[in-house]
Amino acid sequence: MIYPIEIHNLYFRYSTNIDYILKGINLNVLEGEILAITGLSGSGKSTLLNIICGIIPHIRKGDIEGEVKLWGEDVKNLKIADISKKVGIVFQDPDTQLFSPTVEDEIAFGPENLMVDRKEIGRRIEKVLKIVGMEDYRYSNPNNLSGGQKQLIAIAAVLAMESEILLFDEITSQIDDEGKKRIRDIILNLKKDGKTIVLVEHNGDILEIADRVMELKNGELIHKGW
Amino acid sequence: MDFIELKDVYFEYEKDKPIIKNINLKINKDEITAIVGANGSGKTTLGKLIMGILKPAKGQVIICKKDICNMTLAEIGSKIGYLFQNPEKHFFCNTVEEELAFALRFNGYDVNYINGKVEELLTLFQLQDKRNDSPLFLSQGEKQRLAIATILINNPEYLILDEPTTGLDSYRKGILIDILKDLIKKGVGMTIISHDHFTIEELSHRRIGLKWGEIQYDERN
Amino acid sequence: MTKGIKVDPRTKLVIVLCLSTLGIVMENVISLLFILVLSVVIVIVFKVELRKNFNKVKRLIYLIFLIAVIQSIFSPEGNIILSVGRITLLTTGGLEKGLQFILRMVIVIISAAIVTTSSSREIVQGLVQWGLPYDIAFMVALGIRFLPILTEEVKDALIAIQLRGIDIHNIPIKRRISLYSHLFTPILAGTIQKAQRLSITIEMRGFRAYERRTSYLVLKMSKWDYLFIFISITFTFLCFFYYFR
Repeated sequence: MIYPIEIHNLYFRYSTNIDYILKGINLNVLEGEILAITGLSGSGKSTLLNIICGIIPHIRKGDIEGEVKLWGEDVKNLKIADISKKVGIVFQDPDTQLFSPTVEDEIAFGPENLMVDRKEIGRRIEKVLKIVGMEDYRYSNPNNLSGGQKQLIAIAAVLAMESEILLFDEITSQIDDEGKKRIRDIILNLKKDGKTIVLVEHNGDILEIADRVMELKNGELIHKGW
Repeated sequence: MDFIELKDVYFEYEKDKPIIKNINLKINKDEITAIVGANGSGKTTLGKLIMGILKPAKGQVIICKKDICNMTLAEIGSKIGYLFQNPEKHFFCNTVEEELAFALRFNGYDVNYINGKVEELLTLFQLQDKRNDSPLFLSQGEKQRLAIATILINNPEYLILDEPTTGLDSYRKGILIDILKDLIKKGVGMTIISHDHFTIEELSHRRIGLKWGEIQYDERN
Repeated sequence: MTKGIKVDPRTKLVIVLCLSTLGIVMENVISLLFILVLSVVIVIVFKVELRKNFNKVKRLIYLIFLIAVIQSIFSPEGNIILSVGRITLLTTGGLEKGLQFILRMVIVIISAAIVTTSSSREIVQGLVQWGLPYDIAFMVALGIRFLPILTEEVKDALIAIQLRGIDIHNIPIKRRISLYSHLFTPILAGTIQKAQRLSITIEMRGFRAYERRTSYLVLKMSKWDYLFIFISITFTFLCFFYYFR
């Protein structure tokens, strides 16, 4: 059985630290599952997501031991360019995820890189803007949007890539109630489309829809509930 | 006493696309005010207008009966501590310890006083073992805690906090709220900009709702 | 945009290149003045927001002025205007050189402002449709994006410092310089970190996932574009011809 994400005995520490932040993580994520990871800030949740999508070790460095596989292939042996075709990640800080002069350009960027044809890109732009409720801002400069709006655009930009695996790192932190409800629905719909989702969250309403909740504590993943 | 007053304040980035339209508001020092609203309603912009980080296109902002256009940013900063929504905007030093001590050292305070204050804050926000780390390498939640610590270093009499509980897990959110409650008991006034219900319910006496840059409602407990 | 005609960014690039080339090659102060006036007219027609751009360039103006003065001091030709004892400070030749320099720089800067009326995405697309490899065009665009990141870091840090009670405008120069030098490393580190995070985002959005990429934005040259380009290039050649005959 090949899982979308498989982790065996993962140990990790940043080169500047003596202590390991991840101590023996074992995890199999099922296809179409929504997995939520909670834990105190600083416990390594973001680090774990970065390892799953290969940012560690390909871009950021550290001491990593153990196996991390995407669809059966070791992340060490894959290139970021290939991983990006299958995995989409939304980070916590919207300011460093937006770099285009307009919202439309920003959303088109990912699909353009994936060689999606123009008509389809147009369709996806309209679709994701509708999903996050930001149609009115299609031609706005992302720099002039509020924090929460920026985060919605960052999410939209990743959604437009239609990746099979999605990693969300506390994406609702700056979003208001209405937006949070939207995100909840978005995640449920993604699951219906068969996507596999791993999210780091503190928010109860979002955790509620997860199939599995695990807590990262003292470097280990502890099962918390269904 | 009207600590902060806004008169006919109007602000826009692009022509004819106002973010804040005609806000008239008086904020008292002795009640905790919350400014709430959806994303894009203008909450953060309002906070920045009060602090003088942004200048209104029309209207006046008055702090302690003085128009802020006659005050320097440093003057305003020593009266009101401001927490940016993005904690990284607070950091400009190489280590956590330096970040906390910098302003006091620069202004020539006594070394023992500085060390005492720094220890106090490091302990309060559980950042003791991060003291020699670079602020930029902390986790999001740790950055948030450090940011709040830095604005408390001058013992301000009033605080404006923009989304103080972002990035905090429920355990640390509770700790922060207790710290804020403590400060309130000591007489520090606050305006909290947030969309977090729990924080607002726990702390605020007055809630001002913003929508599309205008005040939609203004209610007290 | 001018009079409702959308001008292709490539046309703007050609116009800027022509103006800048003329500005640099010509030497006669009168000719330079003429080119300057021409640039200003074009800039107004293109509705460039001069005021916004002026603020960004304010500091450069001091530098330009300084260089012009230095140049004029070291060009002792023509009649002496100002001298101290036996040392010649200013000559007509030097004055002319200084003026030339100032005019040249102003022409280049003003005409470059024409390009700001197109977004970075449009400019990149224009270059790509002209045959420049996307990677290079995009990285140039990103490099251009880098400068505002750096200035934003500096601005944010200065605001943060002031809000902590340090009045940077009212402290003696020596302390101000020591303050700035103290901040140099962390601000630079902050900028680099932001740039790094940006590059991670870009890679995770599939940059260079394949050999090529599609583009949602497609630029088409209209007959006006061809007309403007023709006029610009012809005009430039005529000037050369007339000037160097």
